[in-house]
Amino acid sequence: MNREGDRVLSNKNNSNFMIRRLHSLIAVIPVGIFVCVHMLLNSSVFISGNESYLALINFMKTAPFVVILEVVVIAIPIIFHGLYGIYIVYLAKNNALKYTYYRNWAFYLQRITALIVLVFLIWHVWVLRLSTHEPQLVINTLAGLLHNPVTFALYIIGVVASMYHFANGLFTFCITWGICVGDRSQKVFATVAGAFFVLISLFAIAILVKISIMPLA
Amino acid sequence: MVNPQFIHLKVKRRSNPTAAPYWEEFKVPYQPNMNVVSVLMEIRKNPINAKGEKVDPVVWECNCLEEVCGACTMLINGVPRQSCSALTDKLLEQYGENNVITLEPLTKFPVIRDLMIDRQLMFDNLKKVKAWVPVDGSWAIGRGPRLADKVHQWAYPISRCMTCGCCMEACPNVNSKSKFIGPAAVAQVRLFNAHPIGAMHKDMRLEQLVKKGGIQECGNAQNCKRVCPKNINLTAHLAAMNRQTNGYGFRQFLMGDK
Ligand code: SF4
Ligand code: SF4
Ligand code: FES
Repeated sequence: MNREGDRVLSNKNNSNFMIRRLHSLIAVIPVGIFVCVHMLLNSSVFISGNESYLALINFMKTAPFVVILEVVVIAIPIIFHGLYGIYIVYLAKNNALKYTYYRNWAFYLQRITALIVLVFLIWHVWVLRLSTHEPQLVINTLAGLLHNPVTFALYIIGVVASMYHFANGLFTFCITWGICVGDRSQKVFATVAGAFFVLISLFAIAILVKISIMPLA
Repeated sequence: MVNPQFIHLKVKRRSNPTAAPYWEEFKVPYQPNMNVVSVLMEIRKNPINAKGEKVDPVVWECNCLEEVCGACTMLINGVPRQSCSALTDKLLEQYGENNVITLEPLTKFPVIRDLMIDRQLMFDNLKKVKAWVPVDGSWAIGRGPRLADKVHQWAYPISRCMTCGCCMEACPNVNSKSKFIGPAAVAQVRLFNAHPIGAMHKDMRLEQLVKKGGIQECGNAQNCKRVCPKNINLTAHLAAMNRQTNGYGFRQFLMGDK
């Protein structure tokens, strides 16, 4: 009989339960926290443009063991979340066109934005961290990218997709960790996550626009 | 009021589990107050398709005829639901008098023939999670403590699950690539873990939910709750079971506690 895969639970204890939970946890701690700090630092361009930004970056670079922190707190968690995430994207058989409920679309978009963010991050990290390093050069490169309408648009897409993935992920995080259980708490938190998405996206876009209208060095 | 001449059906058929599926249309003389089961019974009486050819009658399953057994579940106009409670007048009202009602077997279960599927998977999963209260022993253990009314309020609706499989059908994470047990069995664990005597086997049930294909495969698409004909609040039960399994998983991870 063509059993569509044997979906009865297996008895072998090669469970991915802990990996899935870790995948969910590290996306918020530390990656989510890092994203917030990252954006806060970027927003220093609002103070006095280039100068305040440079001053802040130079200050950050003086932190002890900054490279080790970058690898342990940022790079490893993101790479793990990204690689295991590709597998999760593969696992779903999306049916948003058939079941057009709002949460089903959110689920589908979470997977689409996952792939967009992955490509965006590789580009972002390569251009602004790995291939350039020196703070003045970094900001010049970024300003250059944001002055070009095509790369500006790509940046907006990448950043908004990241914020969606972050906000919707926070919502499902609360279910995965049994924080929001009942209908009411899920509804309230869905609204909170939606508002968070709008606000943090506008904040991020404002930073990008601000840099794009700063004079090129 | 709808009053068409015919009820126009389009059925996705298959003569055996491995045969290729094909569509066949039927025009059944309209009668008021029919449901999809009674339309199929008319076809069985007089198995002539819309082209006037004599064909094998359409095969499907049903038992209770009152939406409590789940046997008659199929896709009706693309929606997983019970054919006994799918009233044709309502369907014609909802989709329009000239609408062709499409019937397809569920896609997440093996098809035996036409609209008849094999839901064995649902029952196997109930066995895995021990979805019962074990009371059989060598002596009578007497009546258990009563459930508080507050618990009863949310627990009783879970017991209305008829293992129909609608939730499995709609879930994007139940498919041939994943081993996900699906939301129905997860909700049953919540029910039986809440029972004072059932709770004695709590960890055995939780152990099943953290295995491969366990609750971790849920991606919160929440389709399951939308399609459940018994209005079981599956998303709340999934979240509550996330809480229980996390506790269990970490206890076990930290202390090797079985
Ligand atoms: S939970 Fe609802 S949809 Fe799922 S099997 Fe039970 S009754 Fe059917
Ligand atoms: S909430 Fe979980 S179980 Fe329900 S449809 Fe979504 S992925 Fe499937
Ligand atoms: S025949 Fe039992 S649910 Fe339809």
